Amino acid sequence: MRWHRLENRIVALFIVLILLVQLAGFVAIRKAIDENARASIRDELIIGERVFLRLLEQNADKLTQGARLLASDFGFRQAIGTDDRGTITSVLENHGARIGATLSMLIGTDQQIKASTQAYPSADLQRSALELVTKGADTNGASETVIVDDSLFQIVAVPVRAPVVIGWIVMGFPVDQKLISDMRALSSLQVSVMVSTRGGQWQQDVSTLPKEESGMLMHQLPQKPGNSSFIPQLTIGDNDYSARLLVLAKGSSNQSAVAVLQRSISEAVAPYRRLQLILLTISVIGVVMAIFASAFVARRITSPLRSLADIAKRLGAGDYRARIEIKGGDEIGKLADAFESMRTGIANRELEIRRLAYWDPLTDLPNRVQFATLLNSAIERAKASNGQCHILMMDLDRFQHVNDVLGHSFGDSLLREVGRRLEQQLERENDKVARLGGDEYAILLPATDVTEAIRQAKRILQSLEMPISIGDQTVDLGAGIGISGYPENGQNSDTLLSSAEVAMYVAKRRGSGFTVYDPSIDKSSQESLSLLSELRRALDRNEFLLYAQPKVELATGKVVGAEALVRWVHPEKGFIGPDNFIPFAETTGFIRMLTSWMLNRTAILCAELQKKGITLKFSVNLSTRDLLDQDLPTHFADILTRNQLSPSSMCLEITESAIMDDPIRAQLTLERLHGMGVELAIDDFGTGYSSLAYLKRLPVDELKIDKSFVMNMEHDADDAKIVKSTIDLGHNLGLRVVAEGLETLAVWHLLKQMGCDQAQGYYMSKPMPGDRFIEWLEQWKAPEMPGQSENMAI
Amino acid sequence: MLKAAIVLTVSAASVPVVAATVTVQVLDVAGAPVPNAVVYAEPTGGQTVAKSLKQAEIEQKDIKFFPLVSVVQVGTPVLFPNHDKVRHHVYSFSPAKTFELKLYSGVPTSPIVFDKVGTVVLGCNIHDQMVAYLQVVNTPYFAKTDMSGHAKLEGLTNGKYALKAWYFKMGPNEAAMEQPLNYQGADMAASVKLAVKAVPVQ
Repeated sequence: MRWHRLENRIVALFIVLILLVQLAGFVAIRKAIDENARASIRDELIIGERVFLRLLEQNADKLTQGARLLASDFGFRQAIGTDDRGTITSVLENHGARIGATLSMLIGTDQQIKASTQAYPSADLQRSALELVTKGADTNGASETVIVDDSLFQIVAVPVRAPVVIGWIVMGFPVDQKLISDMRALSSLQVSVMVSTRGGQWQQDVSTLPKEESGMLMHQLPQKPGNSSFIPQLTIGDNDYSARLLVLAKGSSNQSAVAVLQRSISEAVAPYRRLQLILLTISVIGVVMAIFASAFVARRITSPLRSLADIAKRLGAGDYRARIEIKGGDEIGKLADAFESMRTGIANRELEIRRLAYWDPLTDLPNRVQFATLLNSAIERAKASNGQCHILMMDLDRFQHVNDVLGHSFGDSLLREVGRRLEQQLERENDKVARLGGDEYAILLPATDVTEAIRQAKRILQSLEMPISIGDQTVDLGAGIGISGYPENGQNSDTLLSSAEVAMYVAKRRGSGFTVYDPSIDKSSQESLSLLSELRRALDRNEFLLYAQPKVELATGKVVGAEALVRWVHPEKGFIGPDNFIPFAETTGFIRMLTSWMLNRTAILCAELQKKGITLKFSVNLSTRDLLDQDLPTHFADILTRNQLSPSSMCLEITESAIMDDPIRAQLTLERLHGMGVELAIDDFGTGYSSLAYLKRLPVDELKIDKSFVMNMEHDADDAKIVKSTIDLGHNLGLRVVAEGLETLAVWHLLKQMGCDQAQGYYMSKPMPGDRFIEWLEQWKAPEMPGQSENMAI
Repeated sequence: MLKAAIVLTVSAASVPVVAATVTVQVLDVAGAPVPNAVVYAEPTGGQTVAKSLKQAEIEQKDIKFFPLVSVVQVGTPVLFPNHDKVRHHVYSFSPAKTFELKLYSGVPTSPIVFDKVGTVVLGCNIHDQMVAYLQVVNTPYFAKTDMSGHAKLEGLTNGKYALKAWYFKMGPNEAAMEQPLNYQGADMAASVKLAVKAVPVQ
């Protein structure tokens, strides 16, 4: 029996309570019975004592009557009157025998024994007889119980009248077995008469007990009984008795005679024992019933609790199927209801959590976690079958632009639509599309070789060629896809995913649609990844340096401005050229942080120079990402305000390609900047594909001719023609024209002849650290102008 | 009636000699007068005394002897007439006179002569409660005390006497109280004190 079980505890409690109550009842009843029995025994003994005394008295009365009859016999009286002793003695003998007296005597009025049936009556008897006569002198006779020769006698004395008293008849009768047998018959008491000898030892006179029992009784009596007394407990043999000791006579020499009345306790208690037995039976039945009842009640409580505990355990283990079927309006029923609602609640929430954990809520496609799981199991299957599996990872082109311009809800719809299209392109049941996050999707192609994967990639790209219409908007989407596969590109989902991602970036960079992963691209991509974190760190650690390259007015040789450039001094790799990190920064978006840094530093330098009275227009390059940044104009205005610069003291340079990535938004941003009063320049002009019509609409102020044309114009007539016509074009559009890559004085003259407004290049200076710019300004000397040579032929 | 009886007996004894009177008072142990005590004077001086042997009666009536106490001179016949409707069996086991009158009714034909000095206790064998005392004395000078304990002895001749007093409550073997008396013809008074206690007259 396990004690900690509620059921057992309840049962035990019930049993203990019942047993306690029964025990208390039993003890109380037993005590009451015992007391009752003893009280009734005591009463019986008291009544028995009265009966016994009455019996003795009756006996004495009977004897007295007999003696009195003799005393009134005329012949006897005549014999006394005539003192005829022989006659007297024979009459005494005759009459005594008739009434059962064992001794008779006549005592004269002079207290002398006149006649006796015993020749020599004992001293005891004589003394007792004379005492009795004296006692009865004034009455009509007396009786007494006395000890004569160690035996108990009743003696009576009656006067003989003629008609005055002429003598006394004294007669003695032994207290015999008949008397106590009568007593036993009357009272159901055991009666024993004991007489103590002169030596003080008890000896039995008569008894209703068997000889050996009365012998045992003798040894338990007090040696010198005072008065009649009650003996509550007397054990004789196997029987318990209560007894009453009745002192009947006290003789000379401390002799006493007692009657012992005994009542057997077991006999007296016997009727109660039956009652107790019945009570015990009732108790046992009660306890058994209580056990069953409490077990039933306890089970009613605990079995639902147990099943609730089982269910709770199963809920804990994640099994929510079992319905809780405990009914009832009581607390247990309510508990079960609460459990049931908890079960359904937890089940629903877990379903939701599972959905959130494994499904993309936007597209209802598997998410990255589920995709990784699916991929892993596909890898396992491929491993088992010595087969292959491939994944495609896809990223949409320019999704961020769409999202920014057309709003997030449009973007969301677009992502859903792309998801649907991808799913439509799947050819096999086990192929799966997942959205990994942002505009990144992945497609799992289990048991597929690379050829099949490429075919699938092409099919997807083809499907995306069709513009997507959502509402009244139609969007043309491009995407880059990276392909990687087990076992050649990785052994687990992590490596496959990262290699697919690397391949995808390569594809995007190349604009080639898709790229199958190759370990050789991994190296550069690894560098790229570490590069991004290093760039971030560089910004934090201030590893970037602001450089400036002066711009001079060709006509006068005067420094009118400078292009701000960034340089990176890596703590381990040393100097890193902008070509090595700017394109990367552009693709990753880091360029925006870098541009912000540049604008800040340049503004500080510009303001610093202005304080020294040097007013130069500083140019900063903007990338495509910067142009799409809606916050840029505000941000830039903040910087100007902070440095107390007017917008016209700065110029922002944009490449043609940057504009053409998203002409609409680029124009929006440029117009806002222009509206602020910031000057704008087209950088690297001549290398891109910008349409002149578009160019015409742009709010730009300056055109910078790409250095590739300028550097060779001295020797290449074509380049010189391009430069010349570009200058003319710019001027015709009302723009200032700046030539880059001016490296020789001859080119200076050429450009000056062509009417170019400003130039920058190694001839004046390489880009230099911003803090050394003032120093350079001070030592700058414009070359001597070789007179006006406008007539010089091109 | 009692008074009349005393008068009867005393006058019977004193008729021949007209002389002075000896008044004797009998007192009990507590000094109270004792009625029904027998007072008699026995001559001790050798003087001759007359015989007064007139027959006496002790009757039975209402299952009782009457009178309770009687006194006679020795040799006096006493008749025991039965005035009850039941019979009586009068007896005496006293040493002074042992006799019995077996069941009879009416007046017995002959009286019983009491010829011995002493106390005779009379009983009835069938009526245990009946008792009477007859004091038989050896002198004609006897009387019974009245309610005040006084008795008058009359007709005494001059001389010395032993004045005796007996009361029925005295023990069966107890002798009468005795004291000397010297009578010289004049009225005289004497007092006797008994060792017993007087019982009231019924």
